Amino acid sequence: MLSSRLSSCPKRRIEHTLSTHYCHNLYDFRRYSTQRLTPPSPQHSIYISNSTNPYFNLSFEDWLFRRKAADKPLLLLYRDDPCVVIGRNQNPWKEVNLPVLRASKTIPFVRRRSGGGTVYHDLGNTNFSIHLPRTSFDRHMTAQVVLRAVRSLGIDATVNDRNDICVGTEKVSGSAYKIVSQRAYHHGTMLISTKLETLGDLLHTHSKDTMETKGVASVRSPVRNLQQFKRGVTHGAFVEAVMHEFRKEYGLLGNDDKVQMIDEDDCRDIEYIQHGMSELPSWEWAYGQTPEFTYTVHQTFKWGSAQAKIKSKHGIILSCDLCVSGPTEGTDTTAGGSVASMSAALQGVTAVSMDEPLRFVVKEVEQMLQGRRYGFISAREILSGLGTHDNTKVGAVEDLVSWLVNLMDS
Amino acid sequence: MQSILKRTLASSNPLRRCYANPSPRAFSQPPFRVRTIVTKRYTAEHECVAFDDETGIGSISITDHAQSSLGDVVFVELPQVGTEVSQHDQIGAVESVKAASDIYAPVSGKIQKINEALSAQPGLLNKSPENEGWLCKIKLSDPSELENLMDEEKYKASYEH
Repeated sequence: MLSSRLSSCPKRRIEHTLSTHYCHNLYDFRRYSTQRLTPPSPQHSIYISNSTNPYFNLSFEDWLFRRKAADKPLLLLYRDDPCVVIGRNQNPWKEVNLPVLRASKTIPFVRRRSGGGTVYHDLGNTNFSIHLPRTSFDRHMTAQVVLRAVRSLGIDATVNDRNDICVGTEKVSGSAYKIVSQRAYHHGTMLISTKLETLGDLLHTHSKDTMETKGVASVRSPVRNLQQFKRGVTHGAFVEAVMHEFRKEYGLLGNDDKVQMIDEDDCRDIEYIQHGMSELPSWEWAYGQTPEFTYTVHQTFKWGSAQAKIKSKHGIILSCDLCVSGPTEGTDTTAGGSVASMSAALQGVTAVSMDEPLRFVVKEVEQMLQGRRYGFISAREILSGLGTHDNTKVGAVEDLVSWLVNLMDS
Repeated sequence: MQSILKRTLASSNPLRRCYANPSPRAFSQPPFRVRTIVTKRYTAEHECVAFDDETGIGSISITDHAQSSLGDVVFVELPQVGTEVSQHDQIGAVESVKAASDIYAPVSGKIQKINEALSAQPGLLNKSPENEGWLCKIKLSDPSELENLMDEEKYKASYEH
């Protein structure tokens, strides 16, 4: 299975080093594999996904969550190809460095269904997901299961007051939780050998302090890999340890229910999973679930300055208020000028400071943006949609439009 | 001891002073001032509906027990006004520092109004879950569904054991 994937994806050979490593050592999961002629059943206790497709893994997890008998414990373990995963009610423009993401060409961001903050997944990170009846769910107890697994690998880990697993003051794991009528789950990451520099680049956004969001903000913490505390810790070792602690905690030691190894292809006929896999990457879910936010920015140009206040909800621009001003005497409109002085200068923008043709065009730009998808409109679209206007203003208008589009792309 | 507790509970619950209990003797004021009857019922998933039988509108909220289990609420997802829901349909979700929890309709009907204040102040759900932190108002399509839900006593007993 793994070897055929390697030959068809030469670019991924490096990233798969870890998986080939564990296949040839003690933790050979091929002994668990099952030939599937029918779709898998959701009624087993332990599942390991062979897929590294984050859309599949999240949809498969949700299917198990909704279909497994409500009173039984379940464990799922999986890894994803490089991706950024944001919480259900987060703002991707605030949490993710979208330009860096786009430049990577292969790394998507995915909005998961549970709450919490933003994390980075790659093959050096192992995800665990523990599902239990809602009435007996206790996130501290589930954290202890994972903690005991990490400690059994010879690492002196602890749980902090946010229920995250740490070694010393550094996080090695982040968690999120979901509760529905009969069930609840605790799922989380475990950093084993993740590329932390990539994590840092993707999760660091150029200061967007002036983006006020009603969504949930991440709580940023320094992170480390387990391998930095104990060389030789592998995905396979962690998986075995978690399975053992899970069985011990929920009285499944000696139970002969086999570990289910799941391929993406096994679930091609499961409508719920297929629907989830098409919903998660859709604009409606990824961007359209973004809570309301307001982004206020100032910019100086050769010809003057501008302030934009963009209000957006569910990924749509509700309004864009533009204040444009030519350079006025006594006002510092250079790049070195403080925001406060610029803001003060723009406060009293009147018909005197913004000449009529420019004011008219600015109004047109505001109207064109309203109702459009935030971050999904090009400068060319806006400029070609504007009516004919005074040629002397072309430069200013182009500057303004390019600036707005770049703001929303960042 | 019990009678002291009852009196304490009655005086600390602001709603008790205003609303009658669901017994035939419904007046809490002298006969010349008539108060409407409001029936409060609870679900096992910790939602509460306060039904005003004169308007046929129910005010849906989460219970005080729910908000204390959830921890600090950071985000509330509400249904759209005009949505028709059936009893036990998911109508929204609450995200707290501890979990993202789905909220279910305690009764069937049409959503009339949502609490816009929760958008800027999700913490209202912790401060005043059954009062200022109301989630939405629903026009009940079948008030008899209330009979399947728990009264306050049964609800408290359901999670206290």
